[in-house]
Order: sequence, then C-alpha cells, then structure tokens
Amino acid sequence: MNFSSKITFAFYGIIVYLLGIAIYQVIRDASAWSFILLGVAALICFWLLGSKLISKKKQTVLSRIQATFHRFSFLIEQLVARDFKTKYKRSVLGVFWSFLNPLLMMAVQYFVFVNLMKLRNMGGANPMLDYYAVYLLVGIIIFSGFNDCCNQALRSIVYNASLITKVYVPKVIYPTTKVFSAGINLALSILPLYIIALINGLWPDLSILLLPLGLLFILVFTIGMGYLLSSSVVFFRDIEFLWGVFSTMWMYATPIIYDIGILPNIIQKLMMFNPLYHYIDFVRYIVILRQVPSAQETLICAAFSLGMFAIGLTVFKKTEDKFIFYI
Amino acid sequence: MDQGIMKEDMIRVENVSMHFRLMNDRISSIKEMMTALARRKVKFKEFHALEDVSFTVYRGDVVGIIGHNGAGKSTLLKIISGIMKPSKGKVWRGANIVPMLELGSGFDNDLSGHENIYLNGAILGYSKEFLQSKYDEIVAYSELEPFIHTPLRNYSSGMLMRLAFSIATVVEPEILIVDEVLAVGDERFQEKSKKRMMELMSGGTTVLFVSHNIEQIREMCNRVVWLDHGQVRMIGDADEVCDAYREQFLEQ
Repeated sequence: MNFSSKITFAFYGIIVYLLGIAIYQVIRDASAWSFILLGVAALICFWLLGSKLISKKKQTVLSRIQATFHRFSFLIEQLVARDFKTKYKRSVLGVFWSFLNPLLMMAVQYFVFVNLMKLRNMGGANPMLDYYAVYLLVGIIIFSGFNDCCNQALRSIVYNASLITKVYVPKVIYPTTKVFSAGINLALSILPLYIIALINGLWPDLSILLLPLGLLFILVFTIGMGYLLSSSVVFFRDIEFLWGVFSTMWMYATPIIYDIGILPNIIQKLMMFNPLYHYIDFVRYIVILRQVPSAQETLICAAFSLGMFAIGLTVFKKTEDKFIFYI
Repeated sequence: MDQGIMKEDMIRVENVSMHFRLMNDRISSIKEMMTALARRKVKFKEFHALEDVSFTVYRGDVVGIIGHNGAGKSTLLKIISGIMKPSKGKVWRGANIVPMLELGSGFDNDLSGHENIYLNGAILGYSKEFLQSKYDEIVAYSELEPFIHTPLRNYSSGMLMRLAFSIATVVEPEILIVDEVLAVGDERFQEKSKKRMMELMSGGTTVLFVSHNIEQIREMCNRVVWLDHGQVRMIGDADEVCDAYREQFLEQ
C-alpha cells in the first residue's frame, strides 16, 4: 500500500468515523444539539464528496485534496521524516524524549502545586480533580503540543526561504508538514498519559474511541493557527516575539494547573471563548470521567476548529503570492 | 509555419508583465509600519522587471535568453518555473519543469548524504521509485561513496556541490531550466559536469538557458530571446540574434 492510497484510506476512515459519532450522539440523546451535530457531520461529508452528486464531471474537494497529496506525497513524507529525524539526531535517548518530556513537566508542576502550594481539590466541586496528576498531565500535553506545533509552523515559511525562492512547491505544504511532524509528538505523548491514568486506576472503556476526535479537532485548529502565524510573520517579523508573550498569556489563561471553578463568574463566562479550554476539557472528560462528551461540547470544539482553519487558510491563500518579495 | 510540420508547444509565455513595488524603506515589523504610517512615509516605487513578454517554446528547442544585467532574465525564469506569479499575463507549461537555478538549496546539514539525496530529490519533484532506481548512479557520479553516511555538516563545499549537481542532473526532464552552465568542484569534476550538462542539453530535452557567454549560446541554442529592460528586443534564430546583440554591444 503506497502513501497516497493510505491517505485516501485515512480520509474515508475519518468520514465514516465522524458520521458514526454523530449518529451515536443522536441515538444516545435525541436533543437538538445532537441533531445539529449530525447535520454538521453530514455537511462536512457533503463538502468533501458531494459535488459528485450535483454533476458527474465536477471534481470533488476530496479528490482534489487527494491529487495534491498524491503529487507531493513523497515530498511531504520526506519533510516530515526530516523534521522528526533532526529533532532527535544528536540526543542519546532519541524519541523517548517525546514520552519523557511531558512526564517530567508534570512531575515538576505536580510537586510545586500539590506539595508546596497545597492546591489539591480546589473547591471540591469538580470530580476530575480527584485525579490531579492525570488532570495536570492532559493539560500539559495538549497545551505544549499545541504551542510546539505553532512555533514550528510560525517559522516554516521564513526558514524555508531558500527553497521557496528556488523551487516551486505549493507553499501550504511547509506549515502543514511542520504541524504534522510536531503533531506526531503530541500523539506519542498519549502513551505516557495512559500509563499515568492506569497507575491511578483509570481503566479506559469504549469512550476512548472519542479520543482521536479530540486530537483531530486540535490538529485542525493548530493547522489553521499555523497558516495564520506563518503567513503573517513573513510581513511582520516581530510577530515571532509577540507570539512568545501571547502564548505564555494563553497558557495561564487556560485551566491547565487550576480548575475553572476557582475563577470569578465573569471570567468563567469568558473562558467559553478559549478554544483550548474546550479541547483540554474534551480530552479530560474522556480520560478521567470515561464518558462521551455531550453533543453540544463536541459542536463547540468542531466550530472552533473549522473556524480557525477557514480563517488561517484564507489569510494564507490571499498572501502567499507576495511571500517571495518579503523573505 | 515550418513547411507544414506542426511543432508541439511546450511553454507558452503570454503577455507576461512583472511589476515590483519597491518601498523606499523596507518595512518588516509592526513597529516600523506604525511609525511609517504615522509619518505618512510609506511610499511605493513601481519597478517594471518585465513588460509584455510573449514567446513560445516548442518541443526539443534549446532556447537561450540573453540580455544585460538586470534585463529580467532571472525573473523570467522564475515566472516560467512557477516560483513567482506574474502581475499580468500567464504562462502555460506542457510538462513538468526541473529548475536548476541554484544547487543544493534544500540540503539539511544534520542529515547524512544518503538522507539528503532523498530529501533534495523530493524537493526537485522526483518520485520515490525513480530515486531508488537512480540512487547508486547518483552516489557513483558524485564520487562520495566513502562519506555517504556522514552528516552533511562535515562535507567540504566542493563535496556539497558535487552531491547537489549529481542529484540535479540525474533526471532526463522534459523541460530543463538552467541559469548559467553549472560547472562545479575541482578542475577534473568541472570538466565532467560540463560534459554532463552538454549531454543533457543536446539530448532532445527542451531547454531554457540563461548565459552571459554569447559563444556558448551560439553553440548550444537554436533560438534566442534577447531581453532589454524587461522587454523582448529580438527573438529568432540563434546566429541572427547573437550577431545583433554583439553589434549593439560594440556600438556602445
């Protein structure tokens, strides 16, 4: 099976998976939200495949994506492999750092907040806080994964200037592959997460099937973010530094260490506009409570992902022809 | 034309113009933008690198592009190979283009020569199967067998160029774009690489070729485009255009 047929397979897999989850939500709880979710999932499928239904000759969005992937699959494969290889090339433990890094971070923060600051079970209202180590680890893994992807993508256009000015390659490939290669790390760190969860007695059940959906939401959101950052940094180099400050602010504004319950009411309401809060909560729900997140929550996550992706892609496409004059 | 023999078009350049906006100060940060806007100092100067350039390249043509420095030769090559988008007009390409504008631009210093062959090949648009079948040939041609698993940062610049040249010229592309004939390495390898270039260019490939060496152009090309300040001054048979170019040169 070659790379491009794997991609085709993966796309159809994702479509079936999305529809499956939406149908499950409708069966579980036939509320308005779950019907909207089914509608959104159906719309996505229609967008990807539907143009075939309207006219036989028209290419579907999916087949266009496949054609691009097919033509550049070898390049994408090589670029992702390059990032992955060079990252650990000169380290002794190599890929184990992907496992070790979040664990060490978690250990430090756990020690600081539980032992030094006695922050355990703030308010006691949130049952997830009973497993504070897992609670903390989910937050750390997702936020640092997101942050890492964004930082890599941000530099992808500027650092590949020598390539962009000499060879024609669709420019979206650069930020996309950077998010993919940094995203592999995020996916790998799910393994230590489950080790810690098992140690805490949290055996996964069927709700774990929703975990890939959570990661997919984060991936799509991050790709959109990567497009936005990588294209804007071409024109304004100081965005790199601004982003450094902004991402630190964002980290503290997200309930990673603390629980949303300790915040004043007004800030709790504002938190609803923080996409990362929703993503982290979505994953925590699956890992700690071992329940399927509600249709409403799933819809909110999907809306943030698709919205960010659309914004990022639009900005990137509008500006990409001018990159060459600024890099 | 040509006694009824239809020639197959490979590249059609149709009314291509390229205008750059040159800012008097290069603004590359938000802070500079703010201060410049506040002082109303953002001025643009239009620079016309190419103005209404049109020509057609047929299969098997070896087309030379000549002109003084800054006539727009490299801009034209970049537009034809798709790296730049023209401000006006369009370019139609009948086949995949392998641009040889600068060698080794996609190398990664931390990877070995072996890994870089695949990376650089992918960037140039080769397929995996093709690279696998040509891998031994590339290594043999570059004469780098003993070092092929060493990271690139330990290579000398000559070794780098040899590797890059070997990867770039292993193909027999349908359209080849060459900015100056590439001769790299020590004297012996230079001879070898020059010979390889000549082979490539005379082997039935369609070639677009930029050079300042008029004799080389006369020798290799069958048609020549003469660019002057971004406009086509003359286009036609190699000897004719080269003679006119030389004449104008002598007048000055």
